[in-house]
Amino acid sequence: MTASAWLEVLDETLDACRSHGREDLVQRLRRRRDRPPGATRVAVLGFPKQGKGYLVNAVLNAPVCAVGDAATPAVPVEIGYSAEPAATLVGRGNERVPVPVEKLTGELGARPPGSLRRVEVGVPRELLSAGLVLVDTPAIGDPRSPRTAAALDVLADADAVVLVSDATTPLSEAEVALAHHVRTWCPHVVVALTKIDVCASWRAVAERDRALLAGAGIDSPVLPVSATVRMAAAKAGDQDLNSRSGFPPLLTWIAEQAARPPEHTSAVLAALSVRAATAELVETLRARAELAGQDAGVDQTTLLHRAQRKADELRKRNTRWQNLLADEIGDLQSDAEYDLRERTRKIVETIDETFDKGDPVKVWDEFGPWLDKTLAEAVETNYNFTADRAEWIAQAVAAAFGAQYDLHDLRLGESGAELIADVRQPRIEGFKIGQKLFTGLRGSYGGVLMFGLVTSLAGLPLINPVSLGAGAAFAAKTISDEGGMRLQRRQAVAKMTAQRHVDDVFLRFSKECRDAIRSVQRKLRDHFTGLAEELADQLARERETIIAGSAERERRMVKLRREIERLAGLHQRAGELGVLAGRAPRELPA
Amino acid sequence: MTEDVRGLLAEAGGLYRDSPRAAASLHEAFNHLDEPLRVGITGAPGTGKSTLAAALGETRSLRDLTLVDDPSASVLTDATVRLLRHLEPDELASTHPAARSAFARQTAVDTVLVLARADETGAGRIDALLTAKQLARRAWREDPLCSGAQGVIAVAAQLAYGARAFTDDEFELLAAFAAVPREELERYLLSVDAFTDPAFPGPVSVDTRRSLVSRFGLFGVKLALTLIRTGSDSRVKLSTELVRRSGLGELRDTVAGCFAARAEALKARTAVVRLETVLQNEPRPGSDRLEARVERFAATAHDFTELRLIADIRGGRTALSGEPADEAVRLLGAQGTTPEERLGLDFETDPREVYAAGADAVLRWRHEAERQDRPPAERAAAHVVVRSAEGVLALFA
Repeated sequence: MTASAWLEVLDETLDACRSHGREDLVQRLRRRRDRPPGATRVAVLGFPKQGKGYLVNAVLNAPVCAVGDAATPAVPVEIGYSAEPAATLVGRGNERVPVPVEKLTGELGARPPGSLRRVEVGVPRELLSAGLVLVDTPAIGDPRSPRTAAALDVLADADAVVLVSDATTPLSEAEVALAHHVRTWCPHVVVALTKIDVCASWRAVAERDRALLAGAGIDSPVLPVSATVRMAAAKAGDQDLNSRSGFPPLLTWIAEQAARPPEHTSAVLAALSVRAATAELVETLRARAELAGQDAGVDQTTLLHRAQRKADELRKRNTRWQNLLADEIGDLQSDAEYDLRERTRKIVETIDETFDKGDPVKVWDEFGPWLDKTLAEAVETNYNFTADRAEWIAQAVAAAFGAQYDLHDLRLGESGAELIADVRQPRIEGFKIGQKLFTGLRGSYGGVLMFGLVTSLAGLPLINPVSLGAGAAFAAKTISDEGGMRLQRRQAVAKMTAQRHVDDVFLRFSKECRDAIRSVQRKLRDHFTGLAEELADQLARERETIIAGSAERERRMVKLRREIERLAGLHQRAGELGVLAGRAPRELPA
Repeated sequence: MTEDVRGLLAEAGGLYRDSPRAAASLHEAFNHLDEPLRVGITGAPGTGKSTLAAALGETRSLRDLTLVDDPSASVLTDATVRLLRHLEPDELASTHPAARSAFARQTAVDTVLVLARADETGAGRIDALLTAKQLARRAWREDPLCSGAQGVIAVAAQLAYGARAFTDDEFELLAAFAAVPREELERYLLSVDAFTDPAFPGPVSVDTRRSLVSRFGLFGVKLALTLIRTGSDSRVKLSTELVRRSGLGELRDTVAGCFAARAEALKARTAVVRLETVLQNEPRPGSDRLEARVERFAATAHDFTELRLIADIRGGRTALSGEPADEAVRLLGAQGTTPEERLGLDFETDPREVYAAGADAVLRWRHEAERQDRPPAERAAAHVVVRSAEGVLALFA
């Protein structure tokens, strides 16, 4: 396989990571791409207090790392070959400060946190002479801490990883998860089981760890080691003891990593990194697609159903309120007319009674005002009654239309005011019925319609014969005064005039009343028809939005799916390149 | 104090008669006031809870309390010994559960942290216990996550448990090993595997060696051999020395001084925490009056103030140190709450002498409390000591 082939795939993946805002992945891939050729880097990774420092020191047979209760550095320590022991602090801005190896721990402690990028240590060790670099990392801990980030960052240019876990307890869930993560980024991982010198049950723990790793699909060997025994062996120059420390297999494994042809390693690492990055991207995209799909699945149907239900409801309501309005107006029409007819009939009866017996000349002064007042009362009561009923109808129709519409929307009152302006004043000459009264009446009618008096509706009697009995009193007072033809004629004329006046008022008024009612009907009809149309429009728009939204979502889904397919393609190609490079990376669950 | 709490609980019981859950909870707390203090031993799996419970349980000075190994959440406990594998921030953070109530937070004097398996510190070197002790001390003084604890103590429970119950045979065996020249034995003490190797010189069987190492741990065996070589030449001497070094003694003293001696206060606290939980979960008319009484109770309970100040002084969170610090914690009752114990006198001391010593302590600490050149926090601490010393005098009134 050529370098250009994997470079191409790597660059394409880099772009994809950038376009999805995964700067962390971009950084890692870039470090993979730009990694200097030659050196093989083996990272040592693990949770705190697992014996990482002791392990590195024992591997090198040199006290390079701080151990025990000494504070371990928060930055990676890269240990490579040099003929003389040397240490260099590399700062944030890549400035390099050489320090004596034996003062390294103290120097590290004196630096403010966050000022260093890494530490480079050189030791004259055979193991490192072929270009092997051991990288001791800060302990993995809180996933949000910068130490953990720094440790995991080392993965980006590690060729192999030694995971350190002690034999006091089997791998924890977090350790297995870490192993899994490391394995997706790095093809060669070994688990070093430390402290086997003090743990009597280390064999059982090693078995348990192997089972845990196999269960998680991680093909890493578990190598039990004891740094204490290895140190003692080195001190005594005891080969047998050294083999008991468990270190020889670990050193062989590390040497194997260094022995691999570098270009081969680069290709495999590139392939694996691309696969790890695309797998992570696909996972997030898939989660997003799933979420969007759920949204679409649930909301789409629900929204459309809801819109449909609303339209049906509106249709039903339209029939309901229209029927109600027609029925109620018809009823009101006949009731109002009957009421007025009854009231005027009673008045006419009283007129007849009065002038059957009484002399118009004598009683007129009293009779005139009485008729004015009685008629006015009758008409006003009838108006009130009609207005109240109209108001009530408006309420009922509003309720039938839907609870959300109240009478404030109706503005019924205006219609009444317009209407009464056309009423002509009755002209009954000689009877002096004041126009003042009708003006007042007009005002009250308008007021009634304007503001409504719904509450009085229930107790309102159809006929309210206020002072209708007054006629009898007039009659009694005037009956004896006159007799004969003149009296009869006067009585007939008076009766006629009064009756005609009453009829006149009745006719006029019932006409106005009918008109008023019809006007109310029209107003209500227009008002609610308008509202219904508005609602129907609104529903239609809602439906359109839902349908348009679903199209948009569909479009986005297609885009997401296409992106996932593209990434899966990259993943596939990286796999093929890996196979070409001679080692098939394990299938990743992407 | 207990009577106050009984009154509170009785009144609350009346208020919650119609709620079976609340009533049962209050009833349990009420009954528990007459039971021994209950100390829970908690910690993650593999920290050695049962071993520590067994080792602590056999201590004579802790007869009056019940140790509960890994209590479930429903079990009522008054105090907690919490075992940690490491003093790492992640693990320490898990020891800070969201306190259930304001009162519980305000009077949080019920926890001792234990750095467990101290013998495994620093790759099991011979100075492991010392290193662990330093780590614990440093964490208690410097780590804010440890500030609420009555103590942070490194304990090697397995070693302590084994050492408390030494058999003569075991001692003889260890003494025999100790008699072998060090250089000869050294390579067999490198690891458990080497110690139980069939090639081990001498007539002792593999099984015997395995049982020895499983009882004391490899570190324990190595430490025992070193101690025998340096003078602990009898079973009792060796046992005492191992127990002392294991940290169990310090833990026992802390549990005795901060928990057992304050049993009444801690049980009252448990009951009041229960009561406050009930009041919070099921508020009803009349419960606000009880809440106010709970608040008053928390404010006036001098025991909690004393315990908090003891922890602060010992954890190095005050300006007091050296002899004044020792006297302060003693007066506060860290070594026992009788007048003699507080004043550091023998139990047979003439009462008049006790009174005189008490009066002297009051005068001296009152002077400390009123010195204008001291920061307010220091004067406030001295005031608490004065109040404790006055409490001693009050017993003579």
